[in-house]
Amino acid sequence: MMLTFIIFGLLLSGSVAWVTDNKVFAGIKFQAKWVSLLSVLALGSYFLLLVYFSNNNFQQLQLFERVSWISSLNIDYALALDTLSITLIVLTFILAVVCILVSWEEIQEKSGFYYFNLLATFSGVIGVFSAVDMFLFFFFWEVMLIPMTAIIAIWGHENRYFAAVKFFIFTQVSSLLMLVAIIAMAYIHQQQTGVMSFYYQDWLTLDIKIDVAQYLMLGFFIAFAVKLPSVPFHSWLPDAHTQAPTAGSVLLAGILLKTGAYGLIRFVIFLFPQASENFAPIAATLAVISILYGAKMAFAQSDFKRLVAYSSISHMGFVMLAIFSFNEIAYQGAIVTMVAHGLSSAALFSLAGMIYQRIHSRNLDDMGGFWQSAPRMGGFGLAFAAAAFGLPGLANFVGEFLSLVGAFQVFPIMVVFASLGLIGSAIYGMLLFQKTFQGVPLQQVQDLSVREFIICGSLLGLLVVLGLYPNIILGYAFGVFA
Amino acid sequence: MNQVENIVEVTVFTAEMFVVLSPILFLSFGIVLALLLIAWQRSQKMIAVFSQVILVFTLLLSIHLLSGNLLSGEGVQITTLLKVDQFSYLSLSLLCLSALAVVSLSGQALKSQIEVHDEYYLLILLVTLGAAILVASDHFASMFLGFELLSISLVGLVGYFREHKYAVEAGFKYLILSATASSFMLLGIAFIYSQTGNLSFAVNSAAVSWSPVPLQLFNSVGILLFFSGIAFKLSLAPFHFWAPDVYEGAPTPITLLMATVSKVAMFTVLIKCCFSQGYYNNEYFIDVIIIVALLSMFVGNTLALKQQNIKRLIAYSSIAHFGYLLIILLISSEQSIDFAWQSALFYLSAYILANISIFTIVMAYEKELSQNAQERDVRIDDWQSMFWHRRTEAVLLIVSILSLAGIPLTMGFIGKFYLLNQAVISQSWWLVSGLVIGSGIGLAYYLPIIFTVFKPGEKHMLKSHHPKGVLVASPRIFITLLIIISFYLGVFPDSFSQYIM
Repeated sequence: MMLTFIIFGLLLSGSVAWVTDNKVFAGIKFQAKWVSLLSVLALGSYFLLLVYFSNNNFQQLQLFERVSWISSLNIDYALALDTLSITLIVLTFILAVVCILVSWEEIQEKSGFYYFNLLATFSGVIGVFSAVDMFLFFFFWEVMLIPMTAIIAIWGHENRYFAAVKFFIFTQVSSLLMLVAIIAMAYIHQQQTGVMSFYYQDWLTLDIKIDVAQYLMLGFFIAFAVKLPSVPFHSWLPDAHTQAPTAGSVLLAGILLKTGAYGLIRFVIFLFPQASENFAPIAATLAVISILYGAKMAFAQSDFKRLVAYSSISHMGFVMLAIFSFNEIAYQGAIVTMVAHGLSSAALFSLAGMIYQRIHSRNLDDMGGFWQSAPRMGGFGLAFAAAAFGLPGLANFVGEFLSLVGAFQVFPIMVVFASLGLIGSAIYGMLLFQKTFQGVPLQQVQDLSVREFIICGSLLGLLVVLGLYPNIILGYAFGVFA
Repeated sequence: MNQVENIVEVTVFTAEMFVVLSPILFLSFGIVLALLLIAWQRSQKMIAVFSQVILVFTLLLSIHLLSGNLLSGEGVQITTLLKVDQFSYLSLSLLCLSALAVVSLSGQALKSQIEVHDEYYLLILLVTLGAAILVASDHFASMFLGFELLSISLVGLVGYFREHKYAVEAGFKYLILSATASSFMLLGIAFIYSQTGNLSFAVNSAAVSWSPVPLQLFNSVGILLFFSGIAFKLSLAPFHFWAPDVYEGAPTPITLLMATVSKVAMFTVLIKCCFSQGYYNNEYFIDVIIIVALLSMFVGNTLALKQQNIKRLIAYSSIAHFGYLLIILLISSEQSIDFAWQSALFYLSAYILANISIFTIVMAYEKELSQNAQERDVRIDDWQSMFWHRRTEAVLLIVSILSLAGIPLTMGFIGKFYLLNQAVISQSWWLVSGLVIGSGIGLAYYLPIIFTVFKPGEKHMLKSHHPKGVLVASPRIFITLLIIISFYLGVFPDSFSQYIM
C-alpha cells in the first residue's frame, strides 16, 4: 500500500493545493506552493524511511502490490521497486523540491492549478518508475504527459502552443508504437502459455524468436529514444525546453528524460537481450551522433535554455552509449550520468529561470558581465557549467568517465569519437559562462536571494558529494547485471 | 437446394420471442401512441416528455433483457427476419441513450421557433426505431427496411429548420446521396442473392459454391456494392463528401443524432452481417476494408486539421473514428468474434459518450449566442478561456476531447487499446500503422481545442445574462455525471465489459 499511498498522495495533495489555494481556513491563509512543498517533503521522507527500514533485498525487483485491475485482459495493478527505480525516485523527489522552489515567485497566475499539474506529473513519474505491469506502465507513461503538456501550454513562453503540441505528438505517436509492442508481447505470452499476461516478470521468462523480438524491441526502443531523446527523434526537446516555464524545463531535463533511459534499461535490454545486442551497434552509432550533434548545436545557440537543451541531448547520448555496451562499468556510468545530469541540468535551467526573472530575456546577447553585480550567481554559474562539461570532482565526470571506460571495451572507435563530445561540452560550457557572466556589464542584476541560494547551494552540494564519493550510488546500484 | 435447409425455419411466434422483442415492440407501440397524443392535444412540452418516457422505457427494457439470461449464448432468432443477442441489445441501449440525449438537447433548439414541433420528436423516434430494426435484423430485407426508415426520417430532420441558411442544401444533399446509397445497396443485395439464393445473413456466402466460377464475381461485386451503401452512411472515405456539409446544415441535436444513432446502428449491422456471412475469409473484401479504413483515417484526420467550426470538425473526426473501427471487421477466426464485438461496442460507447458531451456544450454555447442575437454555429474560438470561467463544462469538454484522442484515463483510450489488440491479433500491420499515424495527426487538432479552452482571455460570451451560475442545476448534475462516467469507465473498463462477456 505504501507506494500507492505515495503516488496517490501526490495526486491528492495536488488537488488539495489547487482547491485551497489563496483561501483562508481557520485563520491560516493556504497557498498552493506551501501545500505542495510540505506534501512533497513529507511523502519524500516517507519514501526514504520506507526504503531504509525495509528488509527487502532491492538488488532484485521487490513486488509491493499486485491487484487485479482489468480482469478480462488479465491486467494487474502491480508495483515493484529495485535499486534502479529507488535511485530514480529519490532523484525525482529531490528535483520535485527544486521545481517547487524555482516556481515560488515565477508562477503568480493560476498557481493552484499549476501546482496540481506539477504534483500530478511527479505522481505519474513515480508510477512509471515503479510499475511492473506493462499496461500500468503505459498508463503512467501517458498520464505523466498530460499535466506536463498543460504546464508548457499554460505557463510557457511566447511560442508555447506549438511546443506543447509538438512535444505531445512526438511522445504520443512513439508510445503508441510501444503499446503495439506491449500488446504483441501479451499475445505471444498467450500463445506460449495459454493466458494473456502484461506482467513484467512473466515476460522475462518468454522465449521469443529473434526475428520477432527484433521488431518488438524496436517498438520499445523508439518510444524510449524519443523520450531520451536521441537523434533523429530529438527535435521536440529544444522547443519544449525553451518554451516551458523554469520548473517545466527542470522537470523535463531532470526527470522526464530519465524515464527514457530507465525504459531502455528495464525493458529494452532485459526483455530482449539478444535483439538489443544485435541492435547495439546502431544504437551506439545513434548515441555518438547525439553526443556530437548535441554539442555542436549547443555551441551554435544564442538562447540560454536552448543551449542547455541541446547539451542534454549530448549528455543523454553518453547514457545510451553506456546502456548498449552491456557491461557493468558502463552500466554504472549510465546510472551516475543520469543522476548527475538530472542535477546539473536542473541547476542550469534554474539559473536560466533566475536570470529570466531579472532581465526578461533568454537571449545570450542580452546578457554579459553579470559577475560584477551578482558574484554569487556567477560563482554558481561557473560551477554548474563546469559540472556540465565534466570537471573532475563533480558527479558528471564520474558518470561520463565510467560510461566511456565501460563502452571502450565494446566500441573502441566510437568511444574515441564520443570523447570528442567532452571537448565540445567544455567549449559550449565556457561559452555559456562567458557570455552570461563575463564581458562588459550590460545591466545591473540583483544577486541571488536566500531561496535561490538554497536551490543552487543544495544542487551544487549534491553534485560535489556525488563527484567525490560516487559510491553512494555505485554501491547501491552494484550487482544488477550479476 | 441444400443450403436453404441449413437454416432453421422459424415461423411460430412464441411468448419467449415476444419477451425478447419487447423493447422494439414497445418503441413501435410508443410511436403509435405519440401519434394519438398529437391528435388529442398539440403541446411541445408534452410530446417531448412523452418521447423521453418511451425512450427511457425502451432503454430499461433492453437493459433488463441484457441482465437476464434469455439472450445468453447464440441469441434468439425471431422469424427469419430478426435475430437478437446481447450485442444487439447493448447496441440498442446505446442508441436509446443517444436518442435520449438528442431529445433532451432539442428542447432549447426548438424554443426559438413559434410552431409546435410534434413531428420533430416523432421523426426522432422513427429514426430510433429504424436503428433498432437495423441492430436486430438478420436478413437483408429487414436490414433494408430499417435502413430506409432511418434515412427517410433523417432527411426530414436534417432540413427541419427550413429558414436556416444551409438547411435546405443539407437536406437535399442528404436526400440525394442517401437515396443513391440505398440503390447501390439494393443492387448489391440483388447480386448477393443471385449467388446464394437467400437473403438471410445466416447463409454463409463464402460457403456457397454451387455457381460456376465466372458468376462468383457477382458475389464480390455484390458485397462491394452493399458495403459502399453502408460506407455512405458511415461517411467512410471516399464516400464522405456529404458529411461535413450536412453536419453543418442540420440542427445541432440532429447532427448529434446522425453522428451517434445512425452511425452506431449502421456499424452494428455491418459487423453482424460480416461476421455471420463470414466475409472475413474473403481476401478481396479484406483488401477493400483495409483501403477504405486507411483512406478514412487519413482523409478524416487531415481535413479536420484546419476546421474552425465545431460541427464540421466533429464530422471529419468521425470519419477517422469509423476508419479505426473498421479494424474490427478483420478478425482472424470465429473464436475472436466475441472479443471483436466487445471491442467494437466499447469503442462505440466511448465515441457516443464523447460526442454527447461535446454536443451538450455546443448547445450551451449556441444558446448563449442566440441570446446575444447571433445565429451562427459555435466556433473553436468561442471556447477561449472556458476553463477559467466555466470550470465544469470545460472539464467535460477536455475529458471528451481527450477521449476522442484516445489518451489514458478516458474511455477512448481503452477503446483504442481494444482496437489495437484486435489489429495485433489479426496481424493487420497496415491498419496498426494507420491508427498510430492517424492518432498522431488527430492530436494536432484535438490539442489546440484544449489549449483554446485554457487560453487566458476576456470572458468571451457576454456574461450579463448569467450573473453567477452559468448552468442551472440540472444540466450541471448531468454534466458532472458525464464526467464521472467517462473517468470511471476509463479507469475501470471491467465494469462495462462484464455486460458483454
